[in-house]
Amino acid sequence: MSEAVMQLKNVKKTIGKKEIIKGLDFEIHAGEVFGFLGPNGAGKTTTIRMMVGLIQMTEGDVVIKGHSISRDFKQAIRHVGAIVENPEMYPFLSGWKNLVHYARMMPGITEERIHEVVRLVGLEKRIKEKAGKYSLGMRQRLGIAQALLHNPSVLILDEPTNGLDPSGIREIRAYIRKLAEEEGVAVIVSSHILSEMEMMCDRMGVIKNGELISIQMVHETQQREDVEVVFTASPVDQSATVLKELTGKDVEAGEETLTVQMAKEAIPDVVSELVQKGIRIYGVNIHTSTLEDKFLDLIGEGAVE
Amino acid sequence: MSNFFQLVRNEWMKLFHQKSTWIMMAILAVLVLGAGILFKVDAAFTNGEVPNGDNWKQELQEQNAQLMEGSQEDLKYPGYQNVQENQYRIENDIAPTAYNGWDFVGDNLGLSGLVGLFAIIVGAGIVANEFRWGTIKLLLIRPLSRLKILLSKYVTVLTYTLAMMVFLYVFSLITGAALFGMDGFSQPHVYQQNGEFQDAGLLSFSLLKYGLSLIELTIMTTFAFMIAAIFRNTSLAIGLSIFLMMAGSSVIFFLIEKEWAKFILFANTNLNQFVEGSPIISDLTLGFSITVLAVYYIVFLLLSWIFFTKRDVAGS
Repeated sequence: MSEAVMQLKNVKKTIGKKEIIKGLDFEIHAGEVFGFLGPNGAGKTTTIRMMVGLIQMTEGDVVIKGHSISRDFKQAIRHVGAIVENPEMYPFLSGWKNLVHYARMMPGITEERIHEVVRLVGLEKRIKEKAGKYSLGMRQRLGIAQALLHNPSVLILDEPTNGLDPSGIREIRAYIRKLAEEEGVAVIVSSHILSEMEMMCDRMGVIKNGELISIQMVHETQQREDVEVVFTASPVDQSATVLKELTGKDVEAGEETLTVQMAKEAIPDVVSELVQKGIRIYGVNIHTSTLEDKFLDLIGEGAVE
Repeated sequence: MSNFFQLVRNEWMKLFHQKSTWIMMAILAVLVLGAGILFKVDAAFTNGEVPNGDNWKQELQEQNAQLMEGSQEDLKYPGYQNVQENQYRIENDIAPTAYNGWDFVGDNLGLSGLVGLFAIIVGAGIVANEFRWGTIKLLLIRPLSRLKILLSKYVTVLTYTLAMMVFLYVFSLITGAALFGMDGFSQPHVYQQNGEFQDAGLLSFSLLKYGLSLIELTIMTTFAFMIAAIFRNTSLAIGLSIFLMMAGSSVIFFLIEKEWAKFILFANTNLNQFVEGSPIISDLTLGFSITVLAVYYIVFLLLSWIFFTKRDVAGS
């Protein structure tokens, strides 16, 4: 595993007497896209605001490239590019001047670099227009552009595909993957759209009521875990016995169907075995438990405390 | 230091691209021009006839004699009704001058209240608008301390206030000189201070008065800036500052008998009271007022700093 670019160490936030973030501990590594998932009100935005120093932590620390955000803000934040919540820009300035504005606040950003990020996000044609005339999708691109100006090691994007059309979403997704894979940027993406996260992220952290309840590898879950397979076969009794022998797993037998948790790769072998034993197969269906099911399993529905 | 300059440049860029900045400047220009035209057309505003012929001393003496008889009617020179002032002019050989560009500059000091209003709007907006627009979240995640960002905004407000006062002064002078001429530009200005008449060069006197007004505006603007930094709300900062600016002097009249009245900010903001006319509270001195203002000023800045740098930037 590559180096940890950002570490959250027992991060807590108490407002009044209510503890809204209850000790978050996780790391984000160079070159990975980390999905930060949770229902509204779970503490995603509060956590992101603490990561970039907009909100002070009550306890714990966020360390970015070895620098504490609370004690060594300037050194820590110079490695971070971010959009916090909506990509809000100065509506009366052109897209270009918005970028110049932020470029002036960081050392060593040339005009050349500004042109470069404008090309990257595909805004060349309309960069001279006032940002107030931009659609949400264009502002999202401009927001990503300002976050990339200084070649950050950590890119934090809050709901980055919000307001984009499907082709825009695909572009941004491809671009985020490219940043992570080719430039080694650690990208943190928050979202509540799960399918979106599945396609974009390497790992995902699920937050609920200020607690991290699960971190999982996205692609691992899809490949290695067993899937639920439903066989429609007769005779049912004999099939159940054979299936149990073949898979070594419990078989749930219905009137005409048999349900078993098994590896997807093993399905063809099992089917041919069943056929050889003279069992008549009418159907084989896979129930993939989607991330969404898992997510709902984890957080429960309507789970805001 | 260079990145501080860049920050101030950013703030000016934002000011320049907002329509309201230009509208405020246009309003000021229109009012100066309007006043000039009104004064030109209606001589009642410019003191009417002026005894500035070769025998002006004799004319003033005659008018003084008429005034001392208690007759106010049919005065030849309605602008010269103060016997003492006329006497002072005669004794010091300062001939009255016709209304000229300098007089216009002096009269337009009244518009400094408007400049103050505009400076308050800018001072309140420069911090609170970033919160309203949501851009504060992008502004504060740069490798710069919050103090530096706050200071760059404050310096911008100060330079804006200064620029507007300079604009008022220069534009009044140009308009005044064009409409009323430059006659008597070298003549000293006669004014009353604590009941005594004095004279001073016009350039230095008008600069002094504008300069003292600028201090008053700076205090009010800093107050608006502080409210905006604490409450992060443009309307509240503008409303409260304007209310205090308007109500301030009336409050002093209610409390004038109290011993602590002289420590109230508004008893001290008008520094021109020490130059022309007499102070609102008799035992005030210029030095005392400046000390009181300095204390308020430092408190305003400290509170702005503490609230802006320490408070969380939470969701809206």
